[in-house]
Amino acid sequence: MATSSSHQARKRLWWALRLPDLPAHTLGLAIHAPELQVIAEQRQVVWISGAAEAAGVHLGMDATTAQMLSGCVVHERNPMKEQQLLAELAEVMYQFSPFIELYTSDSYTSEYGPQSGLLLEISSCLLLFGGVQSLSQKIAHCIASHNISLAMGAGHSKAAAWLLSFVNYSLDGERVEFIQRLSLLPIGLLHDFPRQVDALDKTGFVTLADIIRQIEAQSISSFKKRFDHDFVDYLCELFGIDQDFQQSSLFEKPVTYFQPDEFFAEEIQFDYPLHQHEQLQVPMETLLQKLAEYLRKRQLQTQHIEWMLSDIYHNHNALQVYADSPQTHWRLLFDLSLIQLENRDLPFEVDRLSLNCRTTLPLQARNNMLEFDAARKINRQHFSITAAKLKARLGDAAVYKLSYRDGYLPNDTNQRIALTDICQQELPDIHRRAQRPNWLLDAPAAVEMRKQGLYWRGKITLIAGPERIQGNWWREPSARDYFIGLRQDRQRLWLFWDLHKQQWFVQGIFA
Amino acid sequence: MSLNPPDAPPETTAAPSLEQLLCREDIWRGGSSQAPARLAVDTGYTQLNERLAGRGWPNASLIEVCQPPTSHGEWQLLLPALLNSHNNTHTNSHGGLLVLLNPPVNPFAQALLKAGIDLERLLIVKVKDKADFLSSFIELVRCDACDAVMAWQPQQALGYTELRKCALASTEGQGIYVLFRPDTVCDQSSPAVLRLRLEWQAEQLAVRIFKQKGELAANNAVIELPLPSAWKGLLPHAQLDQPGKPKPKVASVTPIHGGRRGRR
Repeated sequence: MATSSSHQARKRLWWALRLPDLPAHTLGLAIHAPELQVIAEQRQVVWISGAAEAAGVHLGMDATTAQMLSGCVVHERNPMKEQQLLAELAEVMYQFSPFIELYTSDSYTSEYGPQSGLLLEISSCLLLFGGVQSLSQKIAHCIASHNISLAMGAGHSKAAAWLLSFVNYSLDGERVEFIQRLSLLPIGLLHDFPRQVDALDKTGFVTLADIIRQIEAQSISSFKKRFDHDFVDYLCELFGIDQDFQQSSLFEKPVTYFQPDEFFAEEIQFDYPLHQHEQLQVPMETLLQKLAEYLRKRQLQTQHIEWMLSDIYHNHNALQVYADSPQTHWRLLFDLSLIQLENRDLPFEVDRLSLNCRTTLPLQARNNMLEFDAARKINRQHFSITAAKLKARLGDAAVYKLSYRDGYLPNDTNQRIALTDICQQELPDIHRRAQRPNWLLDAPAAVEMRKQGLYWRGKITLIAGPERIQGNWWREPSARDYFIGLRQDRQRLWLFWDLHKQQWFVQGIFA
Repeated sequence: MSLNPPDAPPETTAAPSLEQLLCREDIWRGGSSQAPARLAVDTGYTQLNERLAGRGWPNASLIEVCQPPTSHGEWQLLLPALLNSHNNTHTNSHGGLLVLLNPPVNPFAQALLKAGIDLERLLIVKVKDKADFLSSFIELVRCDACDAVMAWQPQQALGYTELRKCALASTEGQGIYVLFRPDTVCDQSSPAVLRLRLEWQAEQLAVRIFKQKGELAANNAVIELPLPSAWKGLLPHAQLDQPGKPKPKVASVTPIHGGRRGRR
């Protein structure tokens, strides 16, 4: 097995697609334009146009100095957009090879700016695309169609391919040839390891050939003593050195498959424009059933779908539908979509309906509460659909549960919680013994004090009490004497005398 | 949404036989005693059970409770039944939900816990207008998970057609569905299966059944439900319910800011 694996490793051919002007492409700058343009990150120049270079600006220069020197325009780098563009290109390259890796290096020297690009393992794809020449042309053509400048290099390993992309060699060869080509490169190209390069430079190393000679003379262990593991591993990968392992295949990193970003997008174009939302129901159902099929086959679930309505004049209107919990079935998503549609008029006559679902999560990640009672489980599932529909219609805040919370004042002990939260139901004995009304007013209502007695929607007679509730001194000290009062219509009320405010309030109703 | 009863026979089939017709619950047969036994939930009050056709609150039917706008007796009336329905292992309801739709104010968690209600089963739904109320009510009663729905009519009063929608939706469920309305609508028609009027008295809750499906003439006798002893407190002598003695006249209810007299 060790032999076959290392044999496989020997057969590998890596291509590096280096995109030297990626910072400029993401900002939409014309690379060969006569304007003096500079891209800076944290006030340091990381990319310069040809014209700016001619005017004396160099990489790593302070942005203000560059501006003073040449009068160039300074743009701010956007690394996030660069990553996005790189990921998009990786998806385009997926048509050529399933083994794609993204490479980004943020360190830069006076010679080289930050570098990014893609690494493709193409040994298994050469036959399909008709050889090295044909494949390289196809890839170059594909990248050129995106108006992106490209430098390509080939090597027996990722590191070698990347370094060889800085010089112009053919994209074919054997391991020995690649190492020969590498030996001519200056050590300054190892810009991922600036500290080590500096140390080597001071010791008199100029090209990679000097490193190879050193390794041949004293083996890799001399580097192991002086430098850290990362650098030594890099050198081993670069020159294809088998480190002293008994079973080297165990330590060999396999080439990983590229996972393209997969999402669901389907559309239906109608024979004639639709102007009533009832007419959209059947197409919506069809599309959602396709989505359910897609989710089922991939063992995925989703919480968010997007409907896009379009008319013949290319007007678009998006409809976002969110479910309360991740769904694999289409029914709830359909009902929620209908509720959204009911609440609005169609903005135009709809010619095309498309359904997009970009955010999915694997089915295995879902966790359910252990329910041993089968009937209860079914009930809960049924209710989740009803709850989602109610929330879609009334809003999240309109559907809630009630929980007890430790507190002094009655209002503080009553808490609204979301449906998914768990209620606190342990009532202290002091409350369990006392008389409490079933309805609690949101805020105590002031009681009118007349000569004849207390009035709140009728005359009140006190029939039981008092119960002193006081505390809360750290926020707002309060002391209340609670009574049960009987109103003239025989309704029993829960009212209190506020000792601080010297006033009567009604707080609850015994229903 | 279809407004037809779910079990209505399609027109294309042959005419139903008499036996088939007699199986239906909604065929009037002249006397309530012959009506097929309906599922019902024990109200928790013997005197009330005796007066109800199914010896309890009818399942899958709209129950309408009318009470004066400023008074509330709903929990006193329904709490025993709600606890019964939760603990009843004979029906198919194991831990179903109790939903309060558009309650006048928030219930007090302490009182409900004390009464034995499982707060995990209690759900509150607030609505803005009549349209939301109707769709939420229909959605809730059709949901198997809801054992009981207590709904309070929104500000805009419900018309007969809307009540009919509620009543029809109720037949699709299996729980107890109670709609609370002000007593000013007592003399209006309503498609509810059971209509009651609630009124507080000094030491009891008076219930008057003024419409019940299966009863030709409403029996207007008052059913008196006892109050918890702790609620009674110490009443002034004049306010006690004394047999034989005319009850003191209750003055009309005064709004909060209504009277200027006697204000300190």
